Amino acid sequence: MNTADFLNLLVAAVLLAGVYAAMSVGMTIIYGVLKIVNLAHAGFLMLGAYFVYELYTRANIDPLLGVILAFPVFFLIGVAVYWLLVRRIPRSDQPTLSSLLLLFGLWLVLQNLGYLIWGNGDHAILTPRTFSTFQIGPIIFPTVRLVVFGAAVASLACLEFALHRTWFGRAIRALMQNSDAGRIAGVHVDRTAQVAFGIGIAFAGAAGGLLAMMYSFTPDFGGSFLLRAFVIIVLGGLESFAGVAVGALILALVETFSILLIPSGYQPAISFSLLVLALVILPDGVAGLWKKRQRLA
Amino acid sequence: MKQDARRNAPSLSRFVTIAPPLFLVVILALVPLAHPGPNAIRLLFISLVWITASVGWNILGGVAGQVSFGFAVFYGLGAYATAISLNAGLDRLPSLALAALVGATTSLLVGLPTFRLRGPYFAIATIGVSEAVRVVMTNLAVTGGASGYRITEKGAFNQRLHFYVALGLAAGAVAISMLIRHSKLGLALISIREDEDAASDLGVNPYATKLLTHALAAALTAAAGGVYAGYSAFVHPNGVFGFDISVAILLMPIIGGIGTVWGPVIGAVVYGLVQEELIASFPQFHLFLYGALLILIILFEPGGVLGLINQLIRFVKARTGVGAHT
Repeated sequence: MNTADFLNLLVAAVLLAGVYAAMSVGMTIIYGVLKIVNLAHAGFLMLGAYFVYELYTRANIDPLLGVILAFPVFFLIGVAVYWLLVRRIPRSDQPTLSSLLLLFGLWLVLQNLGYLIWGNGDHAILTPRTFSTFQIGPIIFPTVRLVVFGAAVASLACLEFALHRTWFGRAIRALMQNSDAGRIAGVHVDRTAQVAFGIGIAFAGAAGGLLAMMYSFTPDFGGSFLLRAFVIIVLGGLESFAGVAVGALILALVETFSILLIPSGYQPAISFSLLVLALVILPDGVAGLWKKRQRLA
Repeated sequence: MKQDARRNAPSLSRFVTIAPPLFLVVILALVPLAHPGPNAIRLLFISLVWITASVGWNILGGVAGQVSFGFAVFYGLGAYATAISLNAGLDRLPSLALAALVGATTSLLVGLPTFRLRGPYFAIATIGVSEAVRVVMTNLAVTGGASGYRITEKGAFNQRLHFYVALGLAAGAVAISMLIRHSKLGLALISIREDEDAASDLGVNPYATKLLTHALAAALTAAAGGVYAGYSAFVHPNGVFGFDISVAILLMPIIGGIGTVWGPVIGAVVYGLVQEELIASFPQFHLFLYGALLILIILFEPGGVLGLINQLIRFVKARTGVGAHT
């Protein structure tokens, strides 16, 4: 492998990491605040993809604008789902049997709703951007991946700003760190959890739209990304936003460079192997390493 | 009073718990002698296979509280292991035992890294493992890849024999489940489900116990897959490793009553009878309905059918005034 190939793969990995981070951050927020693993994440990724697709084919709305529209729409969906289902299951500081099963049921419902509406054929969003590339020196940039990367990073920056600069963001972070202390300090737990769930679903929907700009999709689209998202947040230590970025970069690098070694048919086994490795070597994620260093210092 | 009677006559109480299931097994064993037609036997056979898998899942998911979304892995590996060893000339029972062994061994692969940690790691890893195994089996040339693997039958097809094998296995699974329920292991499993820290303070080793239970549940499910493979004489990855198999195996105990001995059996019978009709009339819709059912059960009656029956009994008792002071 020469340097140009290596650089191309590296750029591809970094561009992929952006959308992976956007896809996983919603799961981190929901896990952090509610301590539940949102298995329905996959369903919302899929719905986001079809949302952007329908807007593009029916109303000729640019997919990028579609992704921006997906944020408020999926936020409201998430708030509704919280109000209808999630708030009814008992709270715990550990993911409970009932929360896993409830959200798994919701995933099944969403996935098969997708099959009912759109059938099981492949769909894709094809714009003039889709196949265009441009070149800087030896490195080739696919335009669509750059656009997706830009959108993902911009949305993550907005989230970062909201979490650190607004009262509401601080409330969410307080609940993630210590929900009892947050409650004592005057955080309305139920309302904050509802908004956090909405934000999580908003990011799932928007990330689904971003992924749909790069890949073709079926109603089963979210399944493989659900596991990827989980690998990323485990690598990141489950509740850390910086960890998500690092986890996304690790997974994207491993996936991109493994093409050189492993036949593409076996690709889905990669994220699982990485998960097992992460659990054996770094059960607290990358964030756990920092914490350990802090404790030692 | 009841307690005293039980203490005075332990053999009687044991008889009361053991007799109805034995009676049920005898009745089922006599069914083929009445010549009910091949389709009825087939339905019973399928229900018995489901009962085995459902009871197996329940020991891990219901009693020990470790939800797995990927039991199709063991079902499928059991099916393939049986098919391959039957073709290699092994007898029926040794090949089923081999399938169970394969299932138990594979279960360690998921259990060893994930059971050490508490939290959702195990549940999520099971989603990944079933996807990964299905992909590998679809690409594996030795077993025919996506086009499947056929068992070359040596003798004539004997439906009754298959039925009795399935009945024996299902009875064995229920017996194991009852034994666990009334043993120290069962108490250990429940304590792990309720509070893992407290359990380990009381001298339970959660890691080893979970690994053992997972292996046992996987072995039962793999044997169920093997029985099914022997009957259908053809296995293919999207059939036995399919996502809907995983969904079915987890749904049945929840329908019937999670964590109980008889709930998974009831759930499997209900599922076995309903599923055929449902898939025929709504090919895509059935998973949608299963998802909706799962949500409704978790929100309104986590005890499943058994929970409903208990509520009904309580309601009737309250109405008729049994036990009320008059």
